[in-house]
Amino acid sequence: MRAGPRPRNQNLILSYLFILPALLLVAGLLLVPMAQNLWYSFFKWDGISKAIFVGLRNYVAFFSDSNFIRSFVNTLFWVVATLAFPVIGGLVVAIFLRGLRLADLFKSLFFIPLTISFVATGAIWANMFSRDLGVLNGILGLFIKGFKLSWLTSVPLNTIAMLFAWVWQQLGTSMVLFLAGLSTIPRDPVEASIIDGANRWQTFVHVTFPMLRPVTTVVITMAMVNSFKTFDIIYVMTRGGPYRSSETLAVTMFRETFTMFNMGYGAAISVLLSILVILVSVFYIKNMWKKDLLYY
Amino acid sequence: MRQALARILTYLVIAALAILWLVPVLSTILVALKTPHDFVSQKFYELPPTFGLLGNLRNAMAQYGIQDHIVSSLIYSSVGAVVAILCASMAGYSIVRLKPRFNFALFLLIYSGTIFPFQMYLIPVYKLYNSVGLYDTRLGMILVYSAICIPFALFVYRGFYTTIPRETEEAAKLDGCGPLRMLFRIFIPNSKAPTAVVALFQATWIWNDLLFGMVLTRKESIRPVMVAVASMMGFGGSSVPMLMAVVLAISIPTIALFVFLRRYFISGMVMAKVDQ
Repeated sequence: MRAGPRPRNQNLILSYLFILPALLLVAGLLLVPMAQNLWYSFFKWDGISKAIFVGLRNYVAFFSDSNFIRSFVNTLFWVVATLAFPVIGGLVVAIFLRGLRLADLFKSLFFIPLTISFVATGAIWANMFSRDLGVLNGILGLFIKGFKLSWLTSVPLNTIAMLFAWVWQQLGTSMVLFLAGLSTIPRDPVEASIIDGANRWQTFVHVTFPMLRPVTTVVITMAMVNSFKTFDIIYVMTRGGPYRSSETLAVTMFRETFTMFNMGYGAAISVLLSILVILVSVFYIKNMWKKDLLYY
Repeated sequence: MRQALARILTYLVIAALAILWLVPVLSTILVALKTPHDFVSQKFYELPPTFGLLGNLRNAMAQYGIQDHIVSSLIYSSVGAVVAILCASMAGYSIVRLKPRFNFALFLLIYSGTIFPFQMYLIPVYKLYNSVGLYDTRLGMILVYSAICIPFALFVYRGFYTTIPRETEEAAKLDGCGPLRMLFRIFIPNSKAPTAVVALFQATWIWNDLLFGMVLTRKESIRPVMVAVASMMGFGGSSVPMLMAVVLAISIPTIALFVFLRRYFISGMVMAKVDQ
């Protein structure tokens, strides 16, 4: 141990050394690879033989690839359905749960699916929807004799079934965030509005919901980003099938890259996916940026 | 009167949803308890006459070596989270307190790693791992998981360290405490709450990952548990009870973490989403 302040440069070197491990890992395994990936997307490459530069041709090929187009449409469907169900559902549940007895119990119940993996969720719901021994066909069979739907192998039922699993898992996220948002709303404006004679619906539309705006932005952004990236549930429940009919962009990227070894094409899909995700979160990143400037 | 009606309606909606949420859970437990034979021959709601859970787990161990995958995943979760926490707390401390030039730019650079979808770096990492011999190794998995966890961890520590009062540091500085000891004696021990959040979140994320395990590993002894479970899918019929028993086994750890550390989990989620 030494008394007194250390020489200034020693601290300077140390200050960079402290950042170095984090920077090396992130730059080496995430940032540099991202740039490489963008570069790969301009090549035709099977992963083994020599890559051939094709410019933007991988991107142009999107327009004539029916598998890609279906996958793109499916992805948009996932995004819209995510906004419609887990997001709005989460808000409704959060509002309903406020002031309810047993609210904590219900909260935990809706939250638990969130702590388990997509793989487990997919397995659980694949069993629910299974044709011969599944619970759903079992329940429906009690009412309709001989009822047997092949949920996971017919289009578009398979996507709807998977969305069910997705909603089951994702509702908790938006519920928790909306509950956190609701708990920060001061009581005074709400009470004032009720005293002024507004009913509960009017109070919600004109007072509560506007005050929830920051949380709403976050929930919507995150929900869109997450649904654009949907992979695990589909991979587990249908493998994107039958005949690639239920693929989303993330699944198509995986299949093109690691089963069919169209690495350049796969890279192009991942670039497109990244652009979509960034576009959706631009507003949000801008917000964060503003906050950070205040922060310093 | 209308108020009471609205209240009853609220209860009904929530109760209906709760049942909908509970059915898959109960069904999973029920199927996991059945023997393959009972599962195929019984109705879906019938209780099993014999206890099949242990037999199902034994089958999963014998046929799929599920216990090895669980060990691998436990290693990735714990070591990956610890490496990320160490790297991020050092970097966060330096950025907030030592403030080298470009500290904010360096923060943004590292943090930007979290904005893009994983698919954006999957192919190059796969290629890199193949050429440097990290493909299909435990070290490779730990490195990639840590790298992915660092941006969020750094974000949390950088935010938290600005709230540690300067007085504590000044006193330590007068005693001749250098940056290294300052970090390990004062900053890290005083950040139990953010560390709990980061550890819980990142360990759970690594445990639940499928994509990187699938792309970067091949050998059974290296593959994380979610990849093994995904490969058990699709056989149907009598293999379902085994699958459901495994689903229970791999989900109980994260559910238990949630139950015990619920406070941290929720604050972490709010942090991760609101500030990510």
